Amino acid sequence: MKPDEDTLWDIRAFVYRHIAETTRPPHLEETAARFGLTHEQAAVAYEELHKRHAFLLKPGTHAILMANPFSAVETPFFVLANNKTYFANCAWDSLGIPAALHSDAKVEARCAQSGDVIRLQVTDGQVSRSDALVHFLIPFRDWYSDLAFT
Amino acid sequence: MLFFRSEDTLNEWLASEQVQRGHVFTIPQLWDLSQRWYQNRMSPDFHGRTLGQVQEIFHEFELTSEFWQIP
Repeated sequence: MKPDEDTLWDIRAFVYRHIAETTRPPHLEETAARFGLTHEQAAVAYEELHKRHAFLLKPGTHAILMANPFSAVETPFFVLANNKTYFANCAWDSLGIPAALHSDAKVEARCAQSGDVIRLQVTDGQVSRSDALVHFLIPFRDWYSDLAFT
Repeated sequence: MLFFRSEDTLNEWLASEQVQRGHVFTIPQLWDLSQRWYQNRMSPDFHGRTLGQVQEIFHEFELTSEFWQIP
């Protein structure tokens, strides 16, 4: 049976809080234990939140792969914030992490063509000066196969 | 979404990947959009956005080209 709407969104909030605190998403069993759900109920909740783009599950599993702007796996987009190292999903999300956390941050990534290191710093809500650019290749209409919610 | 050191490296990449140029942001532009897009992401009250809400944000940032069209 699917958890009710309030529980679903509480789970979403728990996932984000867990990532902020630990840099990784909770395993399904951690979420089940936190909310007093069975494994099956927690699995259904994760699947429902995946459908609603609240986060993205690794295909064929109940492991959270992305909860934008955070990545659950190591990527070339490092973000140091609140004395923790987070991984972003892409260039945009590397700025999205300090924006989401409302924190100062150091971002380190590489130019996709030259491999040169690109460093950015966010301090007191301002981003450091940089000549770097960010290229979005995919038009918005193709960001998701199901565009009901973003 | 990828970082490029300069316009030159971006153009080299587009040529080597044989892909069309999409949309390019400077860092200050993308930081401004990031703050708007992600500012409430940690809030328990954030339940996603409707396409209308997305369109509102795109208009605020003058993202009105074909690239940003909402189907």
